[in-house]
Amino acid sequence: MQNKAEHQAQQVWNLAELLARVDNDQELLHDLFGIFKEEFSRIKPSLEAAVAAGDLKKAADVSHALKGMLANLGAERAAAAAAKLEELASAGKQSALKDALNVLGLEASTLLPQIDAYAAEVRH
Amino acid sequence: MKILIADDEMLSRRLLEKTLDRAGYEVVVVENGKQALEKLCQPDGPRLALLDWIMPELDGPSVCRALRKRSEQSYIYLVLLTSKGSKLDTVHGLESGADDYLTKPFNAEELRARLRVGERILLLEDRLVEARENMRFRATHDALTSLLNRGAIMDLLGRELHRSQREKKSTAILLGDVDHFKRVNDTRGHIVGDEVLIEIAARLLGAVRSYDFVARFGGEEFLVVLNNCDPAFGPNRGEEIRKLFSCRPIHTAKGPVAVTMSFGLLQSADWGPKPLEHLLHAVDLALYRAKGEGRDCLRIAMPETKDEIAFDETPHPARQQN
Repeated sequence: MQNKAEHQAQQVWNLAELLARVDNDQELLHDLFGIFKEEFSRIKPSLEAAVAAGDLKKAADVSHALKGMLANLGAERAAAAAAKLEELASAGKQSALKDALNVLGLEASTLLPQIDAYAAEVRH
Repeated sequence: MKILIADDEMLSRRLLEKTLDRAGYEVVVVENGKQALEKLCQPDGPRLALLDWIMPELDGPSVCRALRKRSEQSYIYLVLLTSKGSKLDTVHGLESGADDYLTKPFNAEELRARLRVGERILLLEDRLVEARENMRFRATHDALTSLLNRGAIMDLLGRELHRSQREKKSTAILLGDVDHFKRVNDTRGHIVGDEVLIEIAARLLGAVRSYDFVARFGGEEFLVVLNNCDPAFGPNRGEEIRKLFSCRPIHTAKGPVAVTMSFGLLQSADWGPKPLEHLLHAVDLALYRAKGEGRDCLRIAMPETKDEIAFDETPHPARQQN
């Protein structure tokens, strides 16, 4: 389990790392945000359904894909939450999945407004 | 340089595509391992690949294993890209045939640096292949004329005669020798002699079909193998080839040099069990006859059956006269 110190050390969104990754290319950044929002809105219900149905394989696969996307965007805390969900699903720990999904939901709800705000700021 | 990105995750694909496009690569993007394998197996496919570990159809390590089984193909530098991070995963990834391993999320600088390593290795491989091909060419071709050399034509001829026998199709062996070549060397010099040999090689090559063979058999001796001949084809083509030399001189740096050639020809579809050396001896005897009967002519040693090839072990005096 991720400890408190690790959690605090992580940023909701490591923008500096992301900007370095995209070589400061704002156009690419907009593309990536667009892809993320579209994919996230598609993946989220599918992940929730897998957890609700106890489909561990699907929950692990979907959270793995989500983890990759979030990590690429520098969304450290949300990526860690997705990683935890993947780990629990892979280990067959079905009872812990709902809590882990809630944590991921919270992290995502913190992240998404920050992304939207940045996108709006850059656009103007 | 072409590079393949195989990743089932759209955001990662877009990010990699743009990063590598900016770095000057020609990027090919696919969404699963099966598509990656297909692209990489194409003759002009990418030789540098970034493969996500977990993908539908085939995962990254499976793509690596499948590619490494294909030994005849040019080397492909494979980098596994994944969020897996344990030592065990690294070992598993590299043992599947990957050359390198990069953890997601990648750092753009590190990615480019690792790909440059891949490019250096591919360049080194290209140089080694080129050196090997040069050595192979030198081992099978004559340095002056670039025709096949004696060893190579003997090998090809052996195979060709087996094929001829199996398919019951006639093959003609034409052995030619430049008349009085020593005089060319003695009076015009060896450089002109070399020019003459080079032009002879060019005329011979220009006179045969793409599936025939021409070799420099010895100093001024040339061997032509004409495949799939009907009975009249070998002698007729032999005569045409002979006339290529008597009809016009060879232009050299020291002026035109008139050159003729004498030929011996052996043609059959039923070569029997006799060793290649015996057959070549028979065609050599026909060439001796051409020399002895005035040169600039073609003489045929065409036995009715394989047992009727005459083997005269006595060297012909004409051969010593060139």
